[in-house]
Amino acid sequence: MYSLSECNPAVAAVCLLSAAGIAMFCMNPVILALSLAGAVCFFLVRNGAGGGKSHLFFCLLFAVLALVNPLVSHNGVTVLFVLNHRPVTLEALLYGMAAAAAVVSALYWFRSFSQLMTGDRLLYLFGRLSPRLALVLSMAFRFVPLFSRQAKKIRQAQRALGRLREGNIAETFRGNVRVFSILLTWALENGIVTADSMAARGYGVGRRTQFSVFRFRRGDAVLLALTLLFFGGACVSLACGALDMVYYPALVFPECTPLALAGYLCYGLLAFLPSLAQGWEVLRWSCLRSRI
Amino acid sequence: MRGIESPRLRRWLRVLLPAVVMPAVVLGGALVLDERRHLFVSVAVAACAVLLFLAGIERRRIGSRRMVIAAVMIALCVVGRLIPFFKPVTALTVITAIYLGGETGFLVGAMSALLSNFYFGQGPWTPFQMLAWGLIGLFAGLLARPLKKSRAFLLCYGLLSGLLFSLVMDVWTVLWYNGRFDPALWLAAMGTALPHTVLYAVSNFAFLWLLARPIGEKLERVRIKYGL
Repeated sequence: MYSLSECNPAVAAVCLLSAAGIAMFCMNPVILALSLAGAVCFFLVRNGAGGGKSHLFFCLLFAVLALVNPLVSHNGVTVLFVLNHRPVTLEALLYGMAAAAAVVSALYWFRSFSQLMTGDRLLYLFGRLSPRLALVLSMAFRFVPLFSRQAKKIRQAQRALGRLREGNIAETFRGNVRVFSILLTWALENGIVTADSMAARGYGVGRRTQFSVFRFRRGDAVLLALTLLFFGGACVSLACGALDMVYYPALVFPECTPLALAGYLCYGLLAFLPSLAQGWEVLRWSCLRSRI
Repeated sequence: MRGIESPRLRRWLRVLLPAVVMPAVVLGGALVLDERRHLFVSVAVAACAVLLFLAGIERRRIGSRRMVIAAVMIALCVVGRLIPFFKPVTALTVITAIYLGGETGFLVGAMSALLSNFYFGQGPWTPFQMLAWGLIGLFAGLLARPLKKSRAFLLCYGLLSGLLFSLVMDVWTVLWYNGRFDPALWLAAMGTALPHTVLYAVSNFAFLWLLARPIGEKLERVRIKYGL
């Protein structure tokens, strides 16, 4: 088992999306609490204690989302107090908290997802679907830093020639336009050379194979199998209605049948699987180091 | 590079993709899918743009050259967005479309939106930006001949494309706020966005005024020299 940042991108995507996906389609409070805890735990494991600002933002968002529902929706039978001649009910408050947990945990999951899925990993995933799209994207990705560097060189040369004066806005603007125009000429010629070079090396002659540094190793298979097992278990439990929760008009909690307990267990393991994989790697690393 | 063999299929794709399939994907994605899965919609639109681009290629040999030039223009749009005081995406898309065809214009517009949002932030708005810029490029390709001939018409098109961009993006604003489409809210959103629309239209005007001739000459030169 590898941590998600080390393993095959497809496995990492399946793992995170299945954990986030179940929490999006289920309003069961236990599942949502597990999802929130797992997402926050994974974020903390990856980023340490830093990022206090984003945690504060997520806390505020949770509070706002949770409190808006009871103030707007007045369904439910258990009245907590009356505000402005409108009843504020326990059911609406709990529903608001569940919805807020769903949104905030999804935001945490997707923040981790976008940290993990860098450009090359996304290309690896989507390159399988459309090789041409992947080629255009990866060429453009490669051109962006190349052109930025070239633009810098052109600007320095122009400044040394005294053709780029940065006085008022109009002069700055005109200078930038000239730099851009020079860059364009260079870029187009460079692009044609690239295309001819590709053709000379046989691009478009036959089926293309892809190079990627990501392989599917045994550890990936273990992680994928565990993910699918837990995901399947949680789905079965969800599909049989063992985890259904009724909020309105009165709260009906799902019964503690074995099926429901199995569903909680599976989802709990799924939600903490990313953190566990990360922790396992840290443990193994320290074990290996202690042996030296 | 392999193109699409059957001319009839190519003709159908060139009409159906921008007119039916892509708006359906973008709107359907916004309405049905959760807004957290926007990246899949963006990639679907990008794949459609590539398909459209392939449908626009008649001779096989020019395909890979034109594709590299499209990648160059996309990268220039992104670099252009990174330079301060400089937002030339619409202008570059329009110019590319005029000289290299509407399908290439669509590809450049849509992909610059996708790619530059890797730097500026991806979100549920990305597919709408892709569609808006792509359509601006496609229409410019259809109107290539009059746009090339008359500078006044080109500048008018710049103003109009600012409006078109705003129209498409306001559909997103309404869907995001309301959950479903509502014409009254759409009008209200356009009214609120009016200062931005005007700024956008004016900046398109300025960039086309400045860039159309020099960049057009360069693209024309490359086109003639290498037979794109």
